[in-house]
Amino acid sequence: MKRYLLTTAIAVGLATPALAVETTDVLDTYADIAAANYGDSLITAQRLQAAVNALVADPSAENLTAARAAWLAARVPYQQTEVFRFGNAIVDDWEGKVNAWPLDEGLIDYVDASYGGPSDENAFAALNVIANPTFTLSGQDIDATSITPALLEDTLQEADGVEANVATGYHAIEFLLWGQDLNGHGTGAGDRPWTDYAMGDECTNGNCDRRGEYLTAATDLLISDLEYMAGAWAIGGEARSELMSDADAGISAILTGMGSLSYGETAGERMRLGVMLNDPEEEHSCFADNTHNDHYYNGVGIQNVYLGEYIRVDGSLVTGPSLSDLMAETDAALDAEMQGKLGDAVMALGRIKIAAEAGFAYDQMLERGNVEGEALIMGGVNGLIDQTRFIERVIAALGVDGVGIEGSDSLDDPNAVFQ
Amino acid sequence: MRRILLAAAVACAPLTATANPSISAIIDDHILPRFEALASTSQALSKAAMQNCDPTSDDLRTAYGVAFDVWVSTSHLRLGPTEVDDRAFALAFWPDSRGATPRALATLISDEDPIGLDAAAYSEVSIAARGFYALEFLLYDETLMQPSEYHCALVQTVTTDIAATSSAIHDDWHSHKDVLLSPGPDATYRSEEEVLQEMLRALTAGLQFTQDSRLGRPLGTFDRPQPARAEARRSGRSAKHVTLSLMSLQDLASHLSVSDANLSDTLNRQFEDALGKLATLNDPVFAGVADPQSRLKIEVIGQSIGTIRTTVQTELGPTLGVAAGFNSLDGD
Repeated sequence: MKRYLLTTAIAVGLATPALAVETTDVLDTYADIAAANYGDSLITAQRLQAAVNALVADPSAENLTAARAAWLAARVPYQQTEVFRFGNAIVDDWEGKVNAWPLDEGLIDYVDASYGGPSDENAFAALNVIANPTFTLSGQDIDATSITPALLEDTLQEADGVEANVATGYHAIEFLLWGQDLNGHGTGAGDRPWTDYAMGDECTNGNCDRRGEYLTAATDLLISDLEYMAGAWAIGGEARSELMSDADAGISAILTGMGSLSYGETAGERMRLGVMLNDPEEEHSCFADNTHNDHYYNGVGIQNVYLGEYIRVDGSLVTGPSLSDLMAETDAALDAEMQGKLGDAVMALGRIKIAAEAGFAYDQMLERGNVEGEALIMGGVNGLIDQTRFIERVIAALGVDGVGIEGSDSLDDPNAVFQ
Repeated sequence: MRRILLAAAVACAPLTATANPSISAIIDDHILPRFEALASTSQALSKAAMQNCDPTSDDLRTAYGVAFDVWVSTSHLRLGPTEVDDRAFALAFWPDSRGATPRALATLISDEDPIGLDAAAYSEVSIAARGFYALEFLLYDETLMQPSEYHCALVQTVTTDIAATSSAIHDDWHSHKDVLLSPGPDATYRSEEEVLQEMLRALTAGLQFTQDSRLGRPLGTFDRPQPARAEARRSGRSAKHVTLSLMSLQDLASHLSVSDANLSDTLNRQFEDALGKLATLNDPVFAGVADPQSRLKIEVIGQSIGTIRTTVQTELGPTLGVAAGFNSLDGD
């Protein structure tokens, strides 16, 4: 008997190296998913660009609807990429250009009187660059007669050092397609008329040509920004090279992104704070009422990188050796628990999506005293917090300490806070 | 046999006590006294508001300052009872980068919203209109401190709500204590390391918040300093909050570093360094961020806290055998 066991042990011992999951293979899969996911973000943004160009060239209700549909589709892959933030410096340095939020939309275009004017925090909250071809910004005379990607990127983005001055990216485009959501806690998204882009006498709210110019410039900029990031993750790209340069740090980067997006970012900043403030402005996609999808696809993205599986927008599957495989080799029970928690969180976030798509809008859920809405959102929050605890256990079990630190700029560079 | 084992255990006890920080000592000496004081001073604040709701009342403002001091010394202990419902957020919603607090309070006052008269129902209200930071606007903001019958009731409601939240947290700590003391395979914490990780997280997140928010927000950038973003500047408490939080974090750090005398000394010296610089600053609301000369001093204090963070991350964590893990500040 003993001898038999020994033989088995030897057999297993011999078999193990051949079966072992290589850390570099896990990193390859992660980088492949990133490349495909940013690639899909680019593809869907190009479709958005085609729809935006059609709207500006030939304004109509149909073309506005088509552009909105293209924006919503573009968000599906992009929100899944957010798990690549926090662990990869190259993504963090770039992300604010494409997905900054929340924004003081009065910087860009006309707003309702209830929006108010300049505030303590932001002197340019109501600048309205579309209506004002020239203005003064932090003491400098600005010529905005032509609205170009460079103007948005170099002059208006974070104007006056205020983060809420978001001039570029998905949410600026969202505002230009939907307009403000003036329904408060009621159902319904922003309702910008297509005539905001009409030519001649049909133009509503003034400066339709400049509005079209802004929308086109912001969309072009989104494309060039996404091209850069898709390229960075391609074979030979700098994000991929950086990841592969240190295998342990690479695994750390994956887990840092998973934990930081789960807890501090999605569960905290975006979801819990919104429900506690009862503020419909705290919706992540407040103009389009697409917040339920933002959160849901964040959850799916976190699951993607652990399982090493990503469904592309053409339906194909990107897969390979995963963090889950690596974990299972060390502690199969913990891997099973981790998978379970990720699935639970996606399910809880899915419930918010289900209710929202059936007509229970996210801003209704945020309303003071709305018990069902609060329970739905807190279900998602708790799922994300719960899975973070398990991400920490995976980190401890894999012995990749130092995680959770890369996500914080101030720890990477003690002087960052003074910059 | 059993007796021998017991004897051995007793013999080992002093050894293990020095080898690892004592969770029960942290609970009894660091955590519980803070929450007990928070409950009692919040109660006293609520009583003071009942006796005199005038925003300029010395008694009310003093009681407010005392209770707020305790909160700042407690604010890093974000675990267990503070995380039930929205308790900690309801005591302290800051930073408020979109001005939600003055907006929410102005709406309540102009509408004379009846919920402002009902302390029990007030927990339904946005966290922006609750807690110590909202009360600061009601007591010290030129516009929002204007006395009226409704204003008086609102001050009393907010303070009663603070007292209720603080006492709920304190009550729950009596049972939550056992959760920290009894880790196990099926418990909230699976091992003592996970409990220590929770303590290290509190220290790390507390330091991060003090450096990045309490100092970092008013500092802004060199070209665009933001003195108006200083914490609780209306009541002149900004620098005091940094001092109080550092003193409290120093106490926690000394508990956690108990097994390594050198490390303990290093941390102590680094905290004293930051506190000493702060004491000589003499700028209660960090107004000096806009002046290059005094700005530098404030930056240096921030760097001193950064040094403590580095020591905690690179030395204390490994000594305890845990990483700090994720905290709620990890987002952007």
